[in-house]
Amino acid sequence: MLLAASLVFYAALNIPYLLAVIVLVAMTTYGFGIWLDRAETSKGKRALLWSGVAVNVLILVVMKYLPFLSTNLRALSIFLSLGTQIQPVKAFASIGVSYYVFQAISYLFDIYLEIDKPERHFGYFALYLAFFPKLLQGPIERAADLIPQLKSRYEFNYDTMRFGMLLLTWGLFKKVVIADRLGLYVDHVYDNVHAFTGVPLLLASYAYSFQIYMDFSGYTDIALGSGLLFNIRLTQNFNNPYLATSVADFWRRWHITFSRWILDYIFKPLQMQWRNWRNWGTATALVVAFLVSGIWHGASWGFVIWGGLHGCYMACSVFYRPFQKKLHKALGLEKTRLLKAWQIFVTFNMVTIAWVFFRASNISDAKYVLANIFNVTDFRLGEFLLSQGRACINELTVLIVIGLISSRLFSGKECKVNVLLRYVAYAVIVLACLDFGVSKEAKFIYFIF
Amino acid sequence: MELLQRLNEIFREVFDDEDIDITPEMTANDVDGWDSLSHVNLIVAIESKFKITFSQKELLTFKNVGDLLNSIRGKITTC
Repeated sequence: MLLAASLVFYAALNIPYLLAVIVLVAMTTYGFGIWLDRAETSKGKRALLWSGVAVNVLILVVMKYLPFLSTNLRALSIFLSLGTQIQPVKAFASIGVSYYVFQAISYLFDIYLEIDKPERHFGYFALYLAFFPKLLQGPIERAADLIPQLKSRYEFNYDTMRFGMLLLTWGLFKKVVIADRLGLYVDHVYDNVHAFTGVPLLLASYAYSFQIYMDFSGYTDIALGSGLLFNIRLTQNFNNPYLATSVADFWRRWHITFSRWILDYIFKPLQMQWRNWRNWGTATALVVAFLVSGIWHGASWGFVIWGGLHGCYMACSVFYRPFQKKLHKALGLEKTRLLKAWQIFVTFNMVTIAWVFFRASNISDAKYVLANIFNVTDFRLGEFLLSQGRACINELTVLIVIGLISSRLFSGKECKVNVLLRYVAYAVIVLACLDFGVSKEAKFIYFIF
Repeated sequence: MELLQRLNEIFREVFDDEDIDITPEMTANDVDGWDSLSHVNLIVAIESKFKITFSQKELLTFKNVGDLLNSIRGKITTC
């Protein structure tokens, strides 16, 4: 019944071919999973694995990247003055596809590596892909984590249900009130970068770092909260990412299910494959893994550069880490609060620089932003304070307060929050959503991936 | 057991720690500094010392030192 509800949910998006896509992915992956398990020879197993993965990747590529590929191929053929005419392909809406295709691929790999057995019941397998709380934007669940939960009997638990509702409402608040309001200023600047210089560019970039975090973690809270209403514990996707002390640490805290997928199925195999190149092998594997991450996010050069930047950050740290340790020791800064604060500050800025490419409408806008962020000569403080800039600063202050509240409210998973405080919190959150919520067309940033 | 001792030597070298004493149940969580980078160094050291090669599939499925030991044992006895 959950399966039917999930499929209806997907169908309600009014993009009929998407239903066909998920059914196609479910059927082919289910089939490949069972064949893979039955295959006797290791050659046979490997062939089945790669065919299954190829089918899934093909579906993903067709749904997401055909327009991008065809535009670039067309440009290439014009550049090379080839006679052939390549028609540009119209974009397909592909909400959710990236997420469940990745789940399907992880399922096949886990069967091949004999970490898991194939699911015999097609209904449960399809639900593993289509479970509606996580259908549109993840988390990317592993079969071994989700399928047993889907199969277990539903038992009503008041505390779980209560916490689920709180989480759901909190997520909505983060998205509708915080992220969308920050988005107003970010859009104001990023949609027209050449009209700004100096501090507004910096502020909008920092604001975007928080906007995307609030948006995506808000969505994740909605997903986790909804899952809890069915007694399903989905995987946490965020862990205070901007408190990371290094880019590597950032990726252990941001979009956790996605980065673990990349780690387990792309980085580790490549790193092992290239192990005889030692550090160079690891560095190359990192760059490749992050380029894949970038491309997964979407068919644009902005995403590719974003991914490439993170790949470079990580690759450099492979070589730099031993010296860094010695430097900290020599300066007597090891394990000090000062060092930690510095590392958090530097990491946040490195991540923000990469986000500029992620958000900017195109590469030249991104380059403009980075080139002019420190331009103080044309900056007028008075003008800035009277403008929208101040509204943005207000938002960021609210954000700090939010951070403090949420760490109290959600410390220690399903905490037993004082009853009165709980109801006050609910009332405040709902009112805030109604009063301060931005009533634009609801748009989750990570929908488009 | 001789194999365990030889492997222990390699661990001590790779992690630069003379106090390591491996057991079959140990995992990466039990050894300080055993991350994916040092894991690669460990595998390369083992392959070179024992003159064996692990398959991609095996490398991705080792869960603890015991799995590693069994795989090495299997490879050196078939030489």
